[in-house]
Amino acid sequence: MKAAPFDYVVADSVEGAVEALADHAGDAALLAGGQTLVPLLALRMAMPGVLIDINRIDGLAGIARSGGATRIGATTRQNTILHDPLVARHVPALARATGFVGHHQTRNRGTIGGSLGLAEPAAEYPATALALGARIEARSPSATREIAIEDYFLGPYTTALDMDEMITAAIFPDWPEDTIHIVHEVARRPGDFALVGLVAAFAVEGGVFTRAGIGWFGMGPTPMKSARAEAALIGQPAATVDLAGIARLAIEDTDPMSDIHADAAYRRTVGARIFERIVGDAIGQRKAA
Amino acid sequence: MNAPADVPLAAARFTGERVPRKEDRRLLTGHGAYVDDVTMAGMVHGMFVRSPIARGRIVAIDVEAARALPGVRAVYTAADLDRHPAKLTGLYGSAESKFPDIWPLAKEDVRHVGDPVAIVLADDRYVAEDGAALVVVEYDDADAVVTIDDAATGAIVHPDLDTNVALMIATPEDPGLEAVFAGAAHVVTGTITHQRQAHVPMETRGIVAALQGSGEMLIHASCQSPHMVARYMDLAFAMPDLHFRVIAKDVGGAFGLKVQPWREEVAIVAAALLIGRPVKWIEDRLENLTASNQAREQDVTVRLAFDADATLLAADIDYRCNLGAYPHGADPNSLAMVMFPGPYKLPRYKFRAQGFYSNTAGQAAYRGPWAMESLARETLLEKAARQIGIDAVELRRRNLITAADQPHTMLTGFVIDRVTPRETLDKLVAHLDTPAFRAEQAAARAAGRYLGLGFAVYVEPTTMAFGGILSSDVADIRIEPTGKVTLTVSTHSQGHGTETTMAQLVADTLGVDIEDVSVMEDDSSRGGFGPGAGGSRQAVSGGGATLIASGKLADKIRAIAAHVLNASPDTISLAGGKVLVAGVAEMTTTVKEIAEIAYYQTERLPEGMEAGLEARHRYRPPPVVYSNAAHACTVEVDVETGMVKILRWVTCEDCGPMINPAVVEGQIAGGVVQGIGGVLYEQISYDARGNPTAVTFKDYLIPTAHDVPELEFLHIATPSASEGGFKGVGEGGAIVGPPTLVNAIADALAPFGADCLTLPLSPPRVLAEIGTRD
Repeated sequence: MKAAPFDYVVADSVEGAVEALADHAGDAALLAGGQTLVPLLALRMAMPGVLIDINRIDGLAGIARSGGATRIGATTRQNTILHDPLVARHVPALARATGFVGHHQTRNRGTIGGSLGLAEPAAEYPATALALGARIEARSPSATREIAIEDYFLGPYTTALDMDEMITAAIFPDWPEDTIHIVHEVARRPGDFALVGLVAAFAVEGGVFTRAGIGWFGMGPTPMKSARAEAALIGQPAATVDLAGIARLAIEDTDPMSDIHADAAYRRTVGARIFERIVGDAIGQRKAA
Repeated sequence: MNAPADVPLAAARFTGERVPRKEDRRLLTGHGAYVDDVTMAGMVHGMFVRSPIARGRIVAIDVEAARALPGVRAVYTAADLDRHPAKLTGLYGSAESKFPDIWPLAKEDVRHVGDPVAIVLADDRYVAEDGAALVVVEYDDADAVVTIDDAATGAIVHPDLDTNVALMIATPEDPGLEAVFAGAAHVVTGTITHQRQAHVPMETRGIVAALQGSGEMLIHASCQSPHMVARYMDLAFAMPDLHFRVIAKDVGGAFGLKVQPWREEVAIVAAALLIGRPVKWIEDRLENLTASNQAREQDVTVRLAFDADATLLAADIDYRCNLGAYPHGADPNSLAMVMFPGPYKLPRYKFRAQGFYSNTAGQAAYRGPWAMESLARETLLEKAARQIGIDAVELRRRNLITAADQPHTMLTGFVIDRVTPRETLDKLVAHLDTPAFRAEQAAARAAGRYLGLGFAVYVEPTTMAFGGILSSDVADIRIEPTGKVTLTVSTHSQGHGTETTMAQLVADTLGVDIEDVSVMEDDSSRGGFGPGAGGSRQAVSGGGATLIASGKLADKIRAIAAHVLNASPDTISLAGGKVLVAGVAEMTTTVKEIAEIAYYQTERLPEGMEAGLEARHRYRPPPVVYSNAAHACTVEVDVETGMVKILRWVTCEDCGPMINPAVVEGQIAGGVVQGIGGVLYEQISYDARGNPTAVTFKDYLIPTAHDVPELEFLHIATPSASEGGFKGVGEGGAIVGPPTLVNAIADALAPFGADCLTLPLSPPRVLAEIGTRD
């Protein structure tokens, strides 16, 4: 468990990082928090010729508000996000999801850009971004662009990023003030990847669902979005909506796999159960309030 | 503590107390001395090229590219190692066992994923891994024999054997047994399956081997006894002019995995002979989870017969285990067969046990290797209680042996004595407040929540000095001319705390401060042979040797003092580093002054007395020293997800008088945690091709601090017949823990009719048990 030989480049700017990426197209890896990459290097499951360290790029980390959205820089540490007041206020689902990411020690190093770049299907951040309709801000030597999250996850650990492109930020658009945010996961032990994970946001006005975002993790080859369930909720009264039916519909849009920890049937069964109960509780709590 | 008055430790100041461990400052501040801390001039690092397939023939090995890599100093295959042929021997099994020829590196064929095929030696581990990646091995792939069922019907794993059955043992035919079952009021049956586990010591295996001159092979090893390693290497290499000296300072856990060296360690010694330079190999976690020997993977089908009063009439068990390709021995867990009756009156008993070879990592002893007896018996007893409709504690009380029944000869021939299964169970039940729990459980069930309470009772054969390598231990003790005390003892600690517990015994016997006692157990060239940790024996055997050797030395101090002070030896006592004469305070002298006389003023010694303050005793403990315990735990099972939360865990053991209750409780807790891992989390699994599928800690789940409750400890201390009255306690938590937890989960899920006999009880397994999956 020792890494294969690689060259190590410290980037001092985003431009420098993406130029290095372009120079070593396909043979370079970006080093942010290293909480996944470094073990993969040690196992020689990743053997890049060049490691580009982006930790010392000024301004790449940080949380700011702009244009009705919260922009989180790529190298912002997970523990920073966990305790950030802007995130707590404007993207509470992200704050809550962060509490499930790894352990305190790994959150001190792990970054949001690293997590979204890796696109682990059982991780919290990709599904949160998907549920909340985030945008991925990316830079290549020739352009900066924003990628809609629906277009970003292409397959297991595969994203729409080009070979010479890096994430510079994740942008979370605001949801209405009273949005109900749900983050729930079933994991073997605290800090483990989820067997079943759910992130959801529901905007309710006048007792009726007006907007819904439902994302799953550990429930398919990528983070999964239940688009049909989202659509079915719109216009439904929160007090009487057939949650069991919505849960079934939501699960139909997932594609869980079987592995040594849980089979697909387990994930579907438990996914539907937690959806129905957790969403029901959230709506009930809102009614009580 | 409840130490009885007859423990022969006058004026104990340390024994029985929660003395902080002498080793903890070193270990907790990162100053332990582990094998990977050893470095030597000219040392090279080894990396094994391992088979990526479970079964196949080696067609060709091309090492040229690896040899040409800068920094690579040598690449050896089995053909190279054959210049110093070393054959591996097993520790367990009988003369009838079928044991294959085992060599450090694979010769014609590979028999499991991870089978070592070549060693690359390089200037550092990075280059060694680069070199290993350049070794090209061509294999002729064959279908793997993976499971017990595969092994029972499939191809032969070891071409030099004619069967995959390493050994089958069974009781003689009992023509009357079926009539007992046919006439029984209740017959309870079940098959309990335990998955494979890994030992996962925090410190993996490791070795540094360095030839000193021409005659001594100096080895630093992560092991359970430096003496065992020296003996093992000597037998393996059988080189008359080579002496093995083994040093093992701090070791971070072993649990049976390191009870003997295995193929990699032997290969590294052979490599050190060939290359003539020190060679280091530190197993990495990937190797540890795939190539190290492993444990469990057993199933046992049980039939129990009861009369109308729930009194046990007979038991019939059929046991199978997967030994893997290269187990440390060819034994179908004969001790589990012997111990199955446990602390119960069982009038009739039949067993059959078979161990099978397969193309998987070999098996090793793992904390309570025979634990399946308790798991099978205690889970089936609670199933019986549910089936018969009687309380599980009451069912046990009707069948447990009591003080009046002892000594009790089990049907299998072992004689149990001085144990308290009934008393520990009663004390546990009194502490628990079972009626309050049952009320809480009923209320919870009404609200759709499922709580459960499980018990387990067992008796453990410890020390096992009934012949063979576990027969004795030796303590050499000396008081230096400075007054400091040095104990060299054949115990060994991988976290057991013997550095403290042995010092406690010495300090009290000699009446000195514990700070003045140094315990040496790290070097095979000092003291004498002992098997070290294994079989829950160090307090009994090493402690007995230490007590007697210290007592001899105390007698000598008294004799010298009596002579110089012109007093009677029985008026002299030792305390606080002083030598006191009863009633004559002004005659008080010190151990240091006696030491000076013994070494420097020998003319003052009694006529004919040997100079110096040194004593030695090799102690032969009783053949088997039994300890016992009852555990209980409560759980809540989330029937929505199948997740289990442990709410409470209470233990009540009897390991005789405790040298250090904190060390005892630490041992129990460690075993319970490993038991929790076995019931809920840990699973070494293979796919149908024999590829391991849990190869990192991402997938091999061990319990963390989040997953383990605060344990509540109760103690009963009934002395054994050993010196000091001690009994072994190292393995018990791992033996009685699993059935305790399984029973609690099964109790929680009783409304669903779940038996929970297939481990691990992972969330999907729990949902399958309760049959509520969509």
